[in-house]
Amino acid sequence: MKQGPPRFSALRQVWRRNWRTVLACAALLLIWQAAALWLKREELPSAWETLRDVPVILSSGEDVLGILASLRRMALGFGLGLLVAVPLGLAMGRSKPLARLLNPLTALAYPIPKAALMPIIMLWLGIGDLSKVLVIFMGVSLPLLYHSSQGAEQVDDKLIWSAQAMGMGQVARLLRVILPAALPEVMLGCRVAVSIALITMISSEMIARQNGAGNLLFNAMDMAIYTDVYAVILIIAVIGVVLDVLMERLRVALTHWADTLQPGSTS
Amino acid sequence: MDHIRAQARRSPLFVWFAKHGAIWPVIGLLALWQLACLAGLVPPRLLPSPAAVALRLAHDLLDPGFLFHIGQTLIRLFSGFFLALALGLCLGIAMAQGAEPFLTPLVRVASPIPKIALYPALVLLLGFGHASKIALVVADAVFPLMLATLHGLRSVPPKLVWAAQAAGASRSTVVLTVKLPSALGPILTGCRIALVIACLNVFLAEMISSSDGLGHLLVTAARSYQVVDMFVPLVLISLIGLLLNASLQFARRRLPIAS
Repeated sequence: MKQGPPRFSALRQVWRRNWRTVLACAALLLIWQAAALWLKREELPSAWETLRDVPVILSSGEDVLGILASLRRMALGFGLGLLVAVPLGLAMGRSKPLARLLNPLTALAYPIPKAALMPIIMLWLGIGDLSKVLVIFMGVSLPLLYHSSQGAEQVDDKLIWSAQAMGMGQVARLLRVILPAALPEVMLGCRVAVSIALITMISSEMIARQNGAGNLLFNAMDMAIYTDVYAVILIIAVIGVVLDVLMERLRVALTHWADTLQPGSTS
Repeated sequence: MDHIRAQARRSPLFVWFAKHGAIWPVIGLLALWQLACLAGLVPPRLLPSPAAVALRLAHDLLDPGFLFHIGQTLIRLFSGFFLALALGLCLGIAMAQGAEPFLTPLVRVASPIPKIALYPALVLLLGFGHASKIALVVADAVFPLMLATLHGLRSVPPKLVWAAQAAGASRSTVVLTVKLPSALGPILTGCRIALVIACLNVFLAEMISSSDGLGHLLVTAARSYQVVDMFVPLVLISLIGLLLNASLQFARRRLPIAS
């Protein structure tokens, strides 16, 4: 990319990099507005009405606390996934017997709708946060396992032999050699996992309506406050897009060295 | 004794097991689960044994009422998938033919949105029946199909296209008769991903609001704490997902296509 002259302000740089995305958002909102004006149905409030409703929801303490509680559960489930699934995945990538044992089980678990386990897990663990965190953990574990094992498999054997020759133990090798070398693939897994965490969080809250963002949606629907329904959807959508952008930034920041090694792997 | 063993080794069952070594961890897990239930380690009220679930599933599969629910789920699953496939192919082709600068930013904004959050709006607009569930499936499954089509069309060897152009083929003929067939491999991979996504979305949507379908059966069983009946629809939708996945993998291996 060509370096711009320094007189460009920071704001202008941001605009130059993101104007397509901004235009895409504007286009989606315009289509929505046009559809609402054309259909004139009570069930489809216009984009403008919905946008005006967003600050109203975000200034209500109860709703914001509900959304924050959702995000906290999501972060817990995701963090637990990182702690458990990434080391296990890395070990799977380096150990054939472990891979042979676990690969069939993960393939079997892949098409199970994780959020649908909610009623069963609630039977075991109650209706508290624990069940929801566990379901999110199960959702994020599969992509993390898969990408970590793929990444660890591709690590150059010579790196591991040198570490071994230097007298590094197994755990140290896993954390200080294999993890950094497999990081580009692991970060890809993290990006997939974040979006799955959000999906699992919303759907588990829609199934077990206690509190949180998913419950907010159905409360508004039950009370037939349609602009609220759309405003909450808009908030969730923005959370999804922002989390994805942040993960992508983090990935680039942590593994830009790998992108320069393999041009074309980004985009 | 030895020749009996040798004969057993040649038996189709043994060959199958040897070729599909992946089956052992699954059998091991099921056996452990069954043993834990038999030993009374877990109360059957909370976790039924796999044998109990399998028996109930076999029993339910003979029940016409149960088959009706399977049918409802499959109708939504497949109509959603095929609509998404048609839309994904069109958008993928459009992107490959030059619409990419316009469509890529839209995809980048729309794909990280959790589609299940749109479901309440879809219910408001399309009602509680088939339409809202099918629309949810389309909204989620179209992205992998579109990107797989684009990726497949991109990786077509240019020599094939040049050869067709030299033979006087028009732009649309090149797309339909050269590019699409040679992009079949990536498109089938996209189909595999999209089918699993379709299964998940149909089931979740049926759990959230529906009066029929497998997801609805799970919710009704949960309301009366019938734990075996809760496992049956869950196992069945997972089996459907596995079966669709495996059959597409099989089709991909059988078709004469470059990977």
